[in-house]
Amino acid sequence: MRSEIIAIAAAAAIAASTIAPAIGQGITAKSAMESIARQPDAAKDIRSTLIIALALMEALTIYGLLIAFMLVSKI
Amino acid sequence: MGEKSPVIIHLFGFLDVTGEVVMMWVILAIALVLSLLVRRGLKERPGRFQNVIETGVEYLDNFFEGLLGHERGRKYFSFLASLFIFIIFANYSGLFPGVGQTVYLKAPTSSLSVTAGLGVTTFVFLQWAGLRAGPKHYFKRFVSPMFFMLPLLLLDEIIKPASLALRLFGNIFGEEMVTEELYNIFPIGVPMVMMVLSLLFCALQAMVFTMLTSIYLDEVTEIE
Repeated sequence: MRSEIIAIAAAAAIAASTIAPAIGQGITAKSAMESIARQPDAAKDIRSTLIIALALMEALTIYGLLIAFMLVSKI
Repeated sequence: MGEKSPVIIHLFGFLDVTGEVVMMWVILAIALVLSLLVRRGLKERPGRFQNVIETGVEYLDNFFEGLLGHERGRKYFSFLASLFIFIIFANYSGLFPGVGQTVYLKAPTSSLSVTAGLGVTTFVFLQWAGLRAGPKHYFKRFVSPMFFMLPLLLLDEIIKPASLALRLFGNIFGEEMVTEELYNIFPIGVPMVMMVLSLLFCALQAMVFTMLTSIYLDEVTEIE
């Protein structure tokens, strides 16, 4: 019984921590693309800022992934 | 994360050498030999080999100078570029056939100990650079808007390198796990999809690590 609950918890951890940053990253990428389309000259600056923003959001997913791996190793 | 890597050599009785350490030695040897080769054959009019290396160094130089400005970019170039070169070699080393399958060779950055070591190095370097740039500014930064922000800002100093280390480790380790799972499902052809993606992600993670480091460095050493 305990291992089933841990399996569900691991799945929930990775699912929740993937969905939320994915929405955030989508919004970020959308506005970055819009601003590049509006001002192609600033594309270089926007791109580097975009990568930093995406990386910071990506970290949240990674934390969820690590927790999921830790939970799976406890089964 | 949980499992310890098996020790392959007991050096002097107390140093445990694992597959990651061996791989790091290989990377260091390759980087050293490459740079020695380039240095020995330096010419005013570069040949093919020197041209490739020069393009790479110039790209890195432009990258850091874009983030830190000309003067500080040059000043801290050696540390940041070494970090970048080491991380990108370490990430790509996991893609070679056989690496990760045996205990003798493993991608260094897929172990939390290695990335935590990189995080600690970054932490020490940031503090040192901040103190060198201006002790007054360094201490003022901790109480900058209000003095009650002190505990939060102290915590922030520790969280920055910790998140750098966890991000790098999680990405490379997760990538390896996904490739392995795909291999277990269907061994021929399917893992290649993930490996092509990891060609991109490995370079991106090395870039993100050094980019964030130089942004933190910019914060620390900025003097009005």
